[in-house]
Amino acid sequence: MKRTSTYYIRLILIILVAFFYVFPFLWMIANSFMSDKNILSVPPKIIPDLLFSKNAFSNYKSVLVQYNFGRYTFNSIWVCTLAALGQIIVCSLAGFALALMHFRGKNITFSLLLLTLMIPVQVTIIPEYYIFMKLGWMDTYLPLLIPSFLAGAFGTFMLKEFFSQVPRPLFDAGIIDGVNSYQMFLRIYLPQAISPLATLFIIAFMNNWNDLLRPMLYISKRDLYLVTVALSQFQNQYGVRWNLLLAGSVLSVIPLIVVFAFSQRYIIESTMSSGIKG
Amino acid sequence: MTQTPFRWHRRITPWIFILPTVIGLLIFRLIPIFSSFYLSFTEWNLLRKAQFIGLGNYVEMMKSREFLMTLTNTLQFSLVYVVGSMALGLALAVLIDVQIKGISLYRAAIYLPVVTSAVAVGIVWNWILGPTYGIVSNIFESLGLTAPYWLSDPKLALNTVASLQVWKMSGYYMIIFLAGLQAINKDVLESARIDGANAFQSFFRITLPMLMSTFFFVLTITIIDSFKNFELIYAMTKGGPQNASNTLVYDVYLNAFVFYRVGYASAIAYILLVFVGLLTILNFFIKKYFVYSLD
Repeated sequence: MKRTSTYYIRLILIILVAFFYVFPFLWMIANSFMSDKNILSVPPKIIPDLLFSKNAFSNYKSVLVQYNFGRYTFNSIWVCTLAALGQIIVCSLAGFALALMHFRGKNITFSLLLLTLMIPVQVTIIPEYYIFMKLGWMDTYLPLLIPSFLAGAFGTFMLKEFFSQVPRPLFDAGIIDGVNSYQMFLRIYLPQAISPLATLFIIAFMNNWNDLLRPMLYISKRDLYLVTVALSQFQNQYGVRWNLLLAGSVLSVIPLIVVFAFSQRYIIESTMSSGIKG
Repeated sequence: MTQTPFRWHRRITPWIFILPTVIGLLIFRLIPIFSSFYLSFTEWNLLRKAQFIGLGNYVEMMKSREFLMTLTNTLQFSLVYVVGSMALGLALAVLIDVQIKGISLYRAAIYLPVVTSAVAVGIVWNWILGPTYGIVSNIFESLGLTAPYWLSDPKLALNTVASLQVWKMSGYYMIIFLAGLQAINKDVLESARIDGANAFQSFFRITLPMLMSTFFFVLTITIIDSFKNFELIYAMTKGGPQNASNTLVYDVYLNAFVFYRVGYASAIAYILLVFVGLLTILNFFIKKYFVYSLD
């Protein structure tokens, strides 16, 4: 492309737009390094003063230790990993059956699955809450894990599309070798699907991490809080301690940003090809 | 597939594969939809037995000014969200559809809010837009203007939250539009340019018509996503001030789990379901109309 003036105007526009999307995160980080004295100054200070003092991380230290965010982050990591693992297992099984097997009720199952994608969780949350209450699962992680395992309509849809595009000769070779359905799935199709499975895992992990309603309803014991709920409870209780609140926000998004940084190419590619995020 | 169905597996096998999904579909989606319908005719606080009260909840709803406000808020939120996301998503995609060094970095930057939690996004925007200490009101004041109360003015709160939801999600729609743009045959645009079409003409006469299927795909998703506003409302306004940013989705939570009026909340959930259904049908007919008129 020729470096004309339109090129530079466009480049500047792109940089400005990108800045508009990144600025809140930069502002969040900068203000999480302000001391109690500086955070509430008018006009706002741009330079975070703690960064140039001896205890640069004192806000982070008090959020992590005094307000227990270390524990909550740990809870989130393992619960979300487990939820995402379960989801890719269940979705790949269902996606495989829907893509390659013939059975009565296949179309109706698939249509119902697609239809329920459109329904907001608030429509069904009340009976769901009642079920988990009656089962005595309050203050356990089961109400967060089980719905994520079983109701991954997006993932099923995505993997069904993928499996039906796997080249036919692979299937034929399997038939000629006389493999059974489980071998066909595990040995032939699943190894082809590593990249969509990884994408789905990351997407499911992020969705679980960012979910607020279910963890808020089902978990009331403080030690069991997930980090997103902990952050929102912290906001409700100590809403004026902005430097700590923003440090907590940074802590709650760091794992996601790290995951995103490593996987953004795959996530963006999968969005481009299927438009599915969850 | 052209060949006749060939069953290479036992009859029962597909059901083993799909069993967890079917159980999930039944227990967490279909059965709750039906039981919510029954619950919407009851008065219930989760602890005692549900009392059947006929249409009582629906009658109360129709008489409640607050509920009618919530209903119009929901419509307004969806409208702002759908129109805003489509326009911004398309504009961003057109802007970013270029070969520049580091373009994937800019793309990722715009996508960043999509992957971060609405709670963290809500908190930082509360800080940015807040009165007195917020950077935006300070910029306004340094220019000699009075900053509006973005979140505490009842006239503004809903639009502020809806716009921020657009900001948060627009990177996602940008990527889908970008995929659509890149699928367009560049030769057509090139020959139009040779024929003397200017940038506007080729955008509105060629690019946009060829983007129609992507356009309706994004329309469908934005309509569905326009109801996913619970987290941001909870983090930013809690439905306030004076119910001004309350939506159906938030109202279900409020009535069921804050006021413990579960029957009434179920009735709201049902109105929500009807609402989603109507918008989906509307979307279906718009699509049909456009596809015919384009032929």
